[in-house]
Amino acid sequence: MIEIPTRILLVDDEKDFVEMLSMRLTESGEQVTVAYSGQECLEKLARTEVDVVILDIKMPGMDGIQTLREIKGMFPLVEVILLTGHGTTETAVKGMKLGAFDYLLKPADFENLSAKLQGAKKKKDEQDERIRQAEARLLLRKGGNI
Amino acid sequence: MAEEDLNHIRLLLIDDEDNFRQTLFKRLGKRGLQVRQADSGEGGLALLKAEPADVVVLDVKMPGLDGIEALRWIKAQWPQTEVIFLTGHSTTQDGVEGIKSGAFDYLSKPIEFEHLLEKIKHAYQKKTRDEERRQEAAYKARIEQQMIATERLASMGTLAAGVAHEINNPLAIINEAAGYLSLLLKKEELAAMPRRQDFEKAIEKISSAVKRARVITHQLLGSVRKQEPVFAEVDLYELAAETLQLVHKEAANKEIRIYQSQGGNPAPIWIDPNQVRQILINLVTNAIHATGKEGKIEVRIEADPESSTLIVSDTGKGIPKENMEKIFEPFFSDKPPGEGTGLGLFVTRQIVDKLGGTIEVQSRVGVGTSMKVILPNRNPLKST
Repeated sequence: MIEIPTRILLVDDEKDFVEMLSMRLTESGEQVTVAYSGQECLEKLARTEVDVVILDIKMPGMDGIQTLREIKGMFPLVEVILLTGHGTTETAVKGMKLGAFDYLLKPADFENLSAKLQGAKKKKDEQDERIRQAEARLLLRKGGNI
Repeated sequence: MAEEDLNHIRLLLIDDEDNFRQTLFKRLGKRGLQVRQADSGEGGLALLKAEPADVVVLDVKMPGLDGIEALRWIKAQWPQTEVIFLTGHSTTQDGVEGIKSGAFDYLSKPIEFEHLLEKIKHAYQKKTRDEERRQEAAYKARIEQQMIATERLASMGTLAAGVAHEINNPLAIINEAAGYLSLLLKKEELAAMPRRQDFEKAIEKISSAVKRARVITHQLLGSVRKQEPVFAEVDLYELAAETLQLVHKEAANKEIRIYQSQGGNPAPIWIDPNQVRQILINLVTNAIHATGKEGKIEVRIEADPESSTLIVSDTGKGIPKENMEKIFEPFFSDKPPGEGTGLGLFVTRQIVDKLGGTIEVQSRVGVGTSMKVILPNRNPLKST
């Protein structure tokens, strides 16, 4: 069975971290784009097809929570997994209330991250599928009317 | 000072003039004072040694040990005891000398009885006041010390959490780099790489060290987590039984038996079960680590209307006296490297503090340790 790679956008201001994790994810067969700030994340999202954003909460300038709000406003179908270096899970929980799929504490366990990525991808695929079906029904109805 | 209070005063009368002394002894006794008497300085000191006095009435002129010398002895050994000097007629010089040596006051013979009684009362009052002042000062010093300790722990906690946070980022990079390398080594193109196993082994070491560091940083960050507690009605005995299931295997590996008991009138209390569970896990885990093969651990719940007490006792190696002060500090551990983070008791104490409780330790090296957590009972209907 050929696995379809998850299209991931990895956002963190810690460049070495972004580099290493993206290499690891790519090596595992995922398709990774990177961004080093909230602003860059939004720009990349506008140009690239993405399934899941892995988003660091603590970033200078536009932080993860602000970025998450923007993502959910502009690209509601994109799933977001929050990364927090901080033990206060409160912010992460707040993020989930704002529509994030889940969160992980840094340094994250790779199996755990993979499982969450799969879950997020599945959720997005199902939503995409429902939209396709709804569109098909819409087309059918329109066609019937003609 | 009310007349009935006189019977609290323990008085010692020292005078070599028998008639004079006997008369005073009787009259003071009639007024309710607890009076003892001696006819010499040496005799008086012997009586004081047997039982201290509040006030000593002391004649200056005596054969053998004289008044001034006796006074110095008394003040050296029983500084709290007040001394009233009796001087001969028109020898005020002795009286002044006496006050300089620490006497409360002096009276010149012949004395008026009521006057002496007044002086005794005043001396006793001074002694009582001094005693209260001393206790107050000791109490204040103790509280201050506790506050310093608490503040120090709090600032250490904040600092430690800050450090943990900063370390998590580089730790994440190491983690991903090691993970990436181990992924590469599994590739077919590297199957024939020389010394591949050495690389794998080293990378595995890096990964497990990162895991160990992560446990520490996450635990540290967790200790300052401002999570809102969720209160519920909790049966402590049941909660303890359930929690012990979590550590059961570790205890079984060392053939340690865990007993559970309860006393008083245990009733469900209103508390955050997660925090109590955390306390219990930390204490029991410590007990298991400290206890040798085939040791015993007892988890006891005691309850009264105001508070509930969790006691975890073990037959382990005990805590040396010099470590008693340190065991609640972050990163203090007597476990081998990698086995203890030195945060268990630190976190436990923070939780207990938050719950408004106290934690007490009793330990004897080679005999065992008993940790006692006293938690206030809260009633959801009464609490504000």
